[in-house]
Amino acid sequence: MKLKINGKTEDATEGVRLTDLIVQRGVESPEMVSIELNGEILEKDRIDAVILKENDEIEFLYFMGGGAK
Amino acid sequence: MTTHGFETKAIHGKTPKQDVHGAIKFPIYSGAAFHFESAEAIEDAFAFRKPAHAYSRVTNPSVEAFERKMNVLEDGRGAIAVASGMAAITNAVLNIVKQGENIVSSGAIFGNTYSLFIHTLKGLGIETRFFDVDKPDEALKKIDGKTRVLFLETISNPKMNVPDIKKLADIAHEKNIAVIVDSTVTTPYLFSGKAAGADVVIHSSTKLISGGATGIGGVIIDSKNSSWSGFPALKPYAKFGKWAFLGRLRSEVYRNTGAAMSPHIAYLHSLGLETLALRVEKTCENTMKIAEFLNNQSQVVSVSYPGLLDSKYHELAKKQFKNRFGGIIAFKLLNREKCFDFINRLKLIKRASNLGDNTSLIIHPASTIFHEFSASEKEAMGVTENLIRLSVGIETVDDLISDILQAME
Repeated sequence: MKLKINGKTEDATEGVRLTDLIVQRGVESPEMVSIELNGEILEKDRIDAVILKENDEIEFLYFMGGGAK
Repeated sequence: MTTHGFETKAIHGKTPKQDVHGAIKFPIYSGAAFHFESAEAIEDAFAFRKPAHAYSRVTNPSVEAFERKMNVLEDGRGAIAVASGMAAITNAVLNIVKQGENIVSSGAIFGNTYSLFIHTLKGLGIETRFFDVDKPDEALKKIDGKTRVLFLETISNPKMNVPDIKKLADIAHEKNIAVIVDSTVTTPYLFSGKAAGADVVIHSSTKLISGGATGIGGVIIDSKNSSWSGFPALKPYAKFGKWAFLGRLRSEVYRNTGAAMSPHIAYLHSLGLETLALRVEKTCENTMKIAEFLNNQSQVVSVSYPGLLDSKYHELAKKQFKNRFGGIIAFKLLNREKCFDFINRLKLIKRASNLGDNTSLIIHPASTIFHEFSASEKEAMGVTENLIRLSVGIETVDDLISDILQAME
């Protein structure tokens, strides 16, 4: 299926879990990252339950420490 | 890391990245800017897609290392270090209070904070309403639909009031008001803002945290108690949910007003954190002995120190500050002339405007920090002409007592 990740359209396994995507992509400093799914920042306790769907838009954001400009 | 004790957390913290040379003390990254491998990489950094530093006014690795330690010690959602304690208060308030809205504040606060509220913020259309922290219900009467902040100091400087922070936080939260607590004189070692209900904890890291007055700094910590919904100033950041306060601060208010902590200060204050527990214990031990000594001197009219058994704040302070009472004593002599004579005769204790140094410091607040206020304003803040403020350091306590004794004779 297609997902939009950090602004780029990419292929992903059908029904991939968000937590698996984080590992597969080697997301930097996962303990620091905030995840925006379809325009909404996810609370940390919701992330484990998320199963991604076709055309979901995910942004991995770091706006606390380095990275906020 | 959350299972470790305070001292371990203060030393080991949570550094963002391993230093490339394995340096135990996180280095000082003093430069202004950072190189990126590609235009795409710097684009990602500006879009918040990379945990990278681009410009030191906004984020800096050394400052981040200090922020992370402070956040671990306060068990917060996140911390932002700034140039001074006053910058911390100003940034925190401007982040959540808009023109036309108001703050309800303890009436007994540090002089410059009072001036910030009644002059600077008033000029920006933000009103401050003061109340007596000894009468929590007074706070309720001052609150209305446009109140956004309840501001407190853990131990007021120099009136030495101790507010019932939990009680006041409960009152504020009923009305969806953010509780900002200045914990400078208590530090995260003595006071857990999060446990007491503070939504934001402020420190002037210049004081006890700095490790011996090593330089000026401040910190703002979001203590995780607020979801930040219902604050009009944060509405554009609603998509960040609970991160709205920190998000607006980092990417707008703090960033645009530019009160950045220097990486050199961040390094020194990080070092200061390593010995904070030891120094606070020694300070509190010394202060207790000196307060008891002063209480027995005939020339001393009164002593304000919550550690004294006859202090009306003793039990509350004992509960709030883990059985310690801080390092500040406010005491009164007969009159201003006696105060000046006494202060002038001291040989060890320094005449200086600061708190929480390793060196003991003394000042006459009415003629210095509070000189700009009227007599009635000073009186409301508990600053009389015969009041002295002593910040007790970590010297040999007998030497301090000898100095005080010879200055009183």
